[in-house]
Amino acid sequence: MADETALFRMEGISKRYGGVHALEKAELNVHAGRVHAILGENGAGKSTLIKVMSGVVAPDEGRMFLDGQPISFADPASANRAGIVCIFQELSLIPDLSVADNIIASNPPTRFGLIDRKEQRRLAEEALAKAGGEDIHPRARVGDLPLSRQQIVEIAKALARKPRVLILDEATSALTASDVTKVMAVLKRLRSEGMALLYISHRMHEIAELADECTVFRNGRNVESYEQGTKTDNEVVEMMIGREYRHVFPEKTPLPPSDKPPALEVRNLSWFNKLNNVSLDVRAGEVVGLGGLDGQGQRDLLLALFGVLRGVTGEILIDGRPVTVKNPRHARSGEVGMALIPEDRKTEGLMLPMSVMQNLSFAALGQLSTFGVIDRAAEKKRIDEMIRLLAVRTASTDIPVSALSGGNQQKVVIAKWLMISPKIILLNDPTRGIDVGTKQEIYQLLRKLSDEGAAIILYSTDYDELIGCCDRVMVMYDGEIKTTLAGNEITEHALVGSALNIGTEEREAGAKPGVGA
Amino acid sequence: MTNDAQPSSRPPLHMRINLPIVIAFACIILLLLIGSLYSKSFLSPEYLLQQLKVASFLGVIATGMMLIILLGQIDLSVPWVLTTGAMMASAATAYGPLGEALAVPFGIACGVAMGLVSGAGVAYLRIPAMIVTLAINVIAQGLMVAYTGGFSPADTASDAMRYLATGNLILGVPNAILVWAAIGALAVFALNRTTFGRAVYAIGNRESAAFLSGAATQRVVMFSFAISGGLAAFGGVLLAGYAGKAAQSMGDAYLLPAIASVVLGGTSILGGRGNYLGTVAGVILVTLLQSILSVMQISEYGRQIIYGAVIVSMLLLYGREKALR
Repeated sequence: MADETALFRMEGISKRYGGVHALEKAELNVHAGRVHAILGENGAGKSTLIKVMSGVVAPDEGRMFLDGQPISFADPASANRAGIVCIFQELSLIPDLSVADNIIASNPPTRFGLIDRKEQRRLAEEALAKAGGEDIHPRARVGDLPLSRQQIVEIAKALARKPRVLILDEATSALTASDVTKVMAVLKRLRSEGMALLYISHRMHEIAELADECTVFRNGRNVESYEQGTKTDNEVVEMMIGREYRHVFPEKTPLPPSDKPPALEVRNLSWFNKLNNVSLDVRAGEVVGLGGLDGQGQRDLLLALFGVLRGVTGEILIDGRPVTVKNPRHARSGEVGMALIPEDRKTEGLMLPMSVMQNLSFAALGQLSTFGVIDRAAEKKRIDEMIRLLAVRTASTDIPVSALSGGNQQKVVIAKWLMISPKIILLNDPTRGIDVGTKQEIYQLLRKLSDEGAAIILYSTDYDELIGCCDRVMVMYDGEIKTTLAGNEITEHALVGSALNIGTEEREAGAKPGVGA
Repeated sequence: MTNDAQPSSRPPLHMRINLPIVIAFACIILLLLIGSLYSKSFLSPEYLLQQLKVASFLGVIATGMMLIILLGQIDLSVPWVLTTGAMMASAATAYGPLGEALAVPFGIACGVAMGLVSGAGVAYLRIPAMIVTLAINVIAQGLMVAYTGGFSPADTASDAMRYLATGNLILGVPNAILVWAAIGALAVFALNRTTFGRAVYAIGNRESAAFLSGAATQRVVMFSFAISGGLAAFGGVLLAGYAGKAAQSMGDAYLLPAIASVVLGGTSILGGRGNYLGTVAGVILVTLLQSILSVMQISEYGRQIIYGAVIVSMLLLYGREKALR
């Protein structure tokens, strides 16, 4: 389906990370003067696609064409030179430099080898005007500008590179509705000037307003491309979910009613503008899932519960007693009995160069020592128990934990926390980047722990996991819990629908099984 | 994501970790052989014991430095905290029999207090250690200059200080060596067998992971600086005992050697990895190098250049080894 009129074309692009196919034979046609929206769940391959396009990563196979000519990029700079510029989700501006310095950061105009300030300022003003930010002074410090203006500067910075294809990756996710309107107006003007725009967003109404054409991605493949307006929201959601292979999950055990207070209860938890009045409760023996798109406050919620964040307001009750969790040390103490399996095992979960043994016993050292002196025999015994319980595959407990596979590293992180016998276990996407076999072992372990009376909160970006593991799922959007789904209500349709926060009707329809599905 | 994990059967890893220690000991033997070409006395027990005795002062100071480097920090306050320890212990000696009895602990306590201030700055105020300890160094210098009026202090070392630094408890073995051995044994025990030691390594490797595991990271960092300050001051107390009295710039010659001996002994300057045996080797190596350069009667400037060049080239050697991993 080679489209000769396309300005930029991708054919059969594949990219693997380890054993995981991030992109598999992906195709894409981008036309000048049109806005092309890319849709897909977390991990559908959208970001990898952009990274390939903008030269950040090289594809394993496949070809790219610009103006019908084959092209490949060694690095982002060469993609920029070819006219493909990407605005990434996180702002890439340097807050302490001026607007002009930021816009012309990569190759400033020079005179006699020195930066030509006048010329730089002229170029910056030109780019700002194109981006709809005439009112921003080129000499202002970027850090002093409000977020929406910073986003305009970001766009101006991209425009200063004279792009033919402009990629916006969740560029509006940090903006408020009124700011989005301004950015949209700019983007529409750029389209009318003949630029090709690639727009990635989870906000369906933005796509409806802006896009000319949409392509849905799922599991690294482009599922379907269609003209905007020819599909309903429901159809789009169906396409994004697809009907896929499911993991084998252990059977859920229904929780008998009990009048005991919940193991963990949270009332009106807020943290700056990242968490807004979050209230939830988890009973002993229950697995509660946190759903929603990446970065809607789930991670902050877990960190707030674990006492990591400063300035959290609201109440936390453990077994009905109000408790202020001061820090992770307090959280793991007998009074609270909480464990957090963090998001990134390499930087937050493990001390990679240290041995498997030292990592495993680290959180529980208090229980394995008297007056600070470690009882090595007891340490060895407990560690052997844990390694057996979780079936950690390691040649010896003395080798550095970095020598283990990803799945086994994750088991070490979990085992480390099980050594303190926690009553409340918080998990931040524990199966990200690990193999299917280990995933299943972790699911079974979670169920076993909850059957033994642990209260578990599981944040996962994998909807299958939420459906298969959780008794209840709370879907977060913009720092708030928007929807709570329980039992049979937990379906992919309901999860995706409420994650995208598409109008109330769809959400209710999705929440009732059978309706809309 | 998982492709950077190597197969789990890599037994030679212990060897690799200890490679710097092997190199350091090999260099010690090499230096002794080179020295023996100049004079036969280089291999005599008297010379070796004398070198070990001189090394002991550096060894005590380097023990504290190692703790800080394991945390991934640095302590630049050694010179004047050391001098403070020496001067305050000598000053206490002048206050009658009670002062004389408390001279050694008082000197150490002054160092601990200064270390606590540095440690609080690093751990709680999050000021880079380089800045805080440099500031403490200057403050200590100011205090000591104010106390002595800028002249060499009149007080002399107490008998206990002299005994620790120059006496022989066991036949022929200088007490200074015994002091270093005792402190070394304590350090090995603390680093390998206690929760404190584990926390030090964990913080040096990945502070965020240690914190999220519930380690009292701030307290550990602060106390480590206090220990380092105390050991630097103790080194000063011993040096004052050795020389009979404290002197204004007695600490200047100990900052770089302390850092060099820790790093030459294979402790990663980025923290988290290192072995006390390596520091022992590093201390002896640095001491021997200084001794041999002076025996070879190379002029002062030449000695400085060679000394610096040797340290840089050895670190390059280790850096290469790490890159291969």
